[in-house]
Amino acid sequence: MAFRRPAAIIFAAGLVVISAGTAGLLLTRHATPAMRPVAVGLEALPAPTGPIVAPPQSAAPRPVAAPVSLTIPLIGVSTKLITLGLASDGSLQVPPITDTAVAGWYTGSPRPGAIGSAIIVGHVDTVHGPAVFDRLSELRKGDEVYVRRADGTLVKFLVTMVQTYLKDQFPTQTVYGPTPDAELRLITCGGAFDRATGHYVSNIVVYATEAS
Amino acid sequence: MRFPRITRTIRRITMLLAAAALLLGVPAAAAAHASSATTGTGWIRLAHLSPNTPAVDVYLYSFGNSNAQIVLHHVAYGTVSPYEAVSAGDYSVAMRAAGASASSQPVLSTSVTIDADHAYTVAGMGPESGLRLQVMDDDLTTPPGKALVRVIQASLKQQTVKVTCGGKTIVPKASFASVSSYQAIPAGTWTMAAIGSGGTATRSVTLAAGTVHTLVVLDGSNGLEMISLEDAAGAGKPPLGGAATGFGGTAAHGPGSPLPWAALIGVGALLALTGGLRLRRRGLGRQLRAEV
Repeated sequence: MAFRRPAAIIFAAGLVVISAGTAGLLLTRHATPAMRPVAVGLEALPAPTGPIVAPPQSAAPRPVAAPVSLTIPLIGVSTKLITLGLASDGSLQVPPITDTAVAGWYTGSPRPGAIGSAIIVGHVDTVHGPAVFDRLSELRKGDEVYVRRADGTLVKFLVTMVQTYLKDQFPTQTVYGPTPDAELRLITCGGAFDRATGHYVSNIVVYATEAS
Repeated sequence: MRFPRITRTIRRITMLLAAAALLLGVPAAAAAHASSATTGTGWIRLAHLSPNTPAVDVYLYSFGNSNAQIVLHHVAYGTVSPYEAVSAGDYSVAMRAAGASASSQPVLSTSVTIDADHAYTVAGMGPESGLRLQVMDDDLTTPPGKALVRVIQASLKQQTVKVTCGGKTIVPKASFASVSSYQAIPAGTWTMAAIGSGGTATRSVTLAAGTVHTLVVLDGSNGLEMISLEDAAGAGKPPLGGAATGFGGTAAHGPGSPLPWAALIGVGALLALTGGLRLRRRGLGRQLRAEV
């Protein structure tokens, strides 16, 4: 009995280790959910006030002022808009990592409220937590988006659709191409996060059209 | 006496390992998420470009629906409406004399199929005697860094005009009630001229890259007239691809690698095996000793 004990202990230890390994394997098969602020109890922002300028008539295009701020009441977004250009690789410049609480307007696109698709970009998160467009994907058809312009005028848009595109299948013509009415494209990241590259694999694009 | 139990245990371990291997073989759920279909919206605008036709009321009907979706009242010669976004599908456009009852027989009607993401201009064209509704499929794509320009010649007094941009001919011979093809023009501010045998109309037009324009040549109260419509606009220099707008701070953590756990199971199996075999050997030895 005394001789057998070390062997029995080794055998039992083996079984314990197998159980632990199996338990660990089974318990880690589930992904931990994305960190999202709880929507319940979050107060929607009031819509900004001020005269809403009617869409321009195509026969007499009126120049509109540059955009300065963006408000999306439903998801609590209220941010100034910085100006963005193109990065050296030809992709869309994004707000700096030091300022992920702001969104930016791509100056190579039409101004919000002018005919065409105005492009506004914001981060979904930082390395630590949510950023300005964290809840962009919650928007649905009919939700309101407001842009304030440098001359104080306000332009109101209504969401028409929300799309998720894999970045390697991004439909540049649909998103950046010409439109015959005043539209907005709000762009952020979404889908799965690739920890190997440090990037999300998809973009979320919110399409909105000026309210008439 | 102990062999059967040990053998059974070893068999169990083997099964456990086989189960673990199966688990490892389960492919990770595909994270890729294809985009959903587009919702299918197109655009339409309506125009009156027949010089000697009085003002009209223009109706847009969704096919099979007798209630008009859009009604434009008292549309006079030279009027082009803004684009209206409508669901893709079949429509009909009808023109009635201004003020005529909505239930009266239209003077003119035509059907138009609106495809998603396409824009159309439906215009009353030609002389009153030969009035027709023309459906134009408007271009919504521009070559990089350029603008697109086309010409609708709606002057009856000057049957044929030449259109120049910065002194360079872009449409050599536009005849009455015709629509030219689109011309790609470098971005900039240009002097556009419509030159007829009996008059000329000029206009300074700023063409931003990524925009689409229509020039309409009209009979004015005082000779030729030209209006410039900005039909559509997009990014003059479209960015390449999407945008890098996240750092993963709120991303879901995918399942970790199963390899360390598999290794642990392997170590456990080895231990159990070693222990099991030793037990078996001891048992054998005791049996032998007992026999001696």
